[in-house]
Amino acid sequence: MAEDTVITDPAIAAADRLKTLSRVMTTKAAIAQTPKELVWTLNKSKLYRYIPVLPKEKRHPIPLLLVFALMNRPYILDLRRGHSFVEYMLNKGYDLYLLDWGAPGPEDKNLKFDDYTLDYMPRAIRKLKAISGVEEFSLLGWCIGAILTTIYAALRGDEGLRNLILLTAPLDFSNKQGLTFARWTDERYFDVDKVLAAFGNMPGEMIDYGAKALKPVENYVGNYVKLWDNIDDPRMVEGWHAMNTWVTDNVPLAGGVFRQLIVDLYRNDKLMRGELVIRGERVELSRIQANLLTVIAEGDHITPSCQSEPVMSKVSSPDKELFRVKGGHIGIMAGSGASKYTWPHIDGWLASRSQ
Amino acid sequence: MAEDPTHDGKRLDPMEPWRAARDIYMDAWGKTMVDMVNSEAYAQATGAMLDSYMTVSAPFREAVEKAMLKTLEQMAMPSRADVVSIAERMTNIEMRLDDLDAKLDNIQRLIVKVGAVPRSQAGKAPQPSKPQPSKKKTTKAKPAKRGEK
Repeated sequence: MAEDTVITDPAIAAADRLKTLSRVMTTKAAIAQTPKELVWTLNKSKLYRYIPVLPKEKRHPIPLLLVFALMNRPYILDLRRGHSFVEYMLNKGYDLYLLDWGAPGPEDKNLKFDDYTLDYMPRAIRKLKAISGVEEFSLLGWCIGAILTTIYAALRGDEGLRNLILLTAPLDFSNKQGLTFARWTDERYFDVDKVLAAFGNMPGEMIDYGAKALKPVENYVGNYVKLWDNIDDPRMVEGWHAMNTWVTDNVPLAGGVFRQLIVDLYRNDKLMRGELVIRGERVELSRIQANLLTVIAEGDHITPSCQSEPVMSKVSSPDKELFRVKGGHIGIMAGSGASKYTWPHIDGWLASRSQ
Repeated sequence: MAEDPTHDGKRLDPMEPWRAARDIYMDAWGKTMVDMVNSEAYAQATGAMLDSYMTVSAPFREAVEKAMLKTLEQMAMPSRADVVSIAERMTNIEMRLDDLDAKLDNIQRLIVKVGAVPRSQAGKAPQPSKPQPSKKKTTKAKPAKRGEK
């Protein structure tokens, strides 16, 4: 009996690879597929409620609101089917909401942390409470979203905030030597007012360049080499495609927020020093009493652990935990290990505090 | 992905040593570049580049803006500043509407709470009261057949 033979023509194989490469580099992947409904809008901001998959009696009564960074799309939390934090948490019985900030236009160039934390967030939370019918809720903030949730928790934490989860939160800016962004935006080299006078809002492309330039070889070369090495693995290719779709979908950062981020935080570390004033109110981290989980990515080059750790000693929360996980700034929530380590830990911590 | 070459019967990949060497080189290159972008010199150089770009482009930008403003004025069209101003006012109105909406929701909830209105009717618009039945005897008009006037 003749053996089965697989005829492989190197030219055909190479053509297939080039076709795959061209597809993933030039098209957008199907992302953010979990069904959701739009329940509230204000300016560009939208509040979505994900359609629960478990019956009400099996769900946690305390809803969870996800708040992502202002300069990236929030669908990294719901990247693709079978690999989505949103999908995972819905299956675990959470009543899940997502605050999508949208892309600021020229009319939003003066928006500041003040507006996001005292105009937008309280209104979105009010709607969330009205829909869910409960007065308490949990907040999960990631990256700049963690700055927003921290400020909110310090100023309006007594309005029903039960649990606060901070992911890779850049809160402490005192270690100037350890922060590349702090060096780049030092007042000797970077004129923030000149940039904002020219652009109004900080262009998404410039922010993207800044993030990628922290590890230029890895981001501009290694990323594509990795894709080519794994071009015959459909699972890896689809994951890469989805991530590339997210990475290249940049959002500008409102000028007012960018100025505060550089001047008040990167240069003067006002949040940790208790000097940050939001619409006349001083932000005192000691006023945070909600249960707190801080998640730190050990390989995070955008928000090193020295930026997230110190908040633990500043808050008054009697119930607080610091969780370290291997991975990078985005990888801990969207990488291949996220569903094994980070998501189960967040669920385990939150489930017992959401009854 | 091609399987890793092993010696347990699977095909050996002749490119593997080249890949290994490439990875070592890229690691070293990556570390050098990370050190470089972390230096004061890099921060100074990029800052100077951005600053000179801003300085050089500013007059052109201003000229384009002025020309655009004049053109729009002549065409009786709103300028960017006008549109921005309207958009800001819209957001303020939106916020007020949102607050009103929340207040109405609260009132509705309170009405339901005190039991004045059944929950099923709480969200409905008030219905006109039913007309009182007249004591006069009335005769029902026969429905007109199709074609009759």
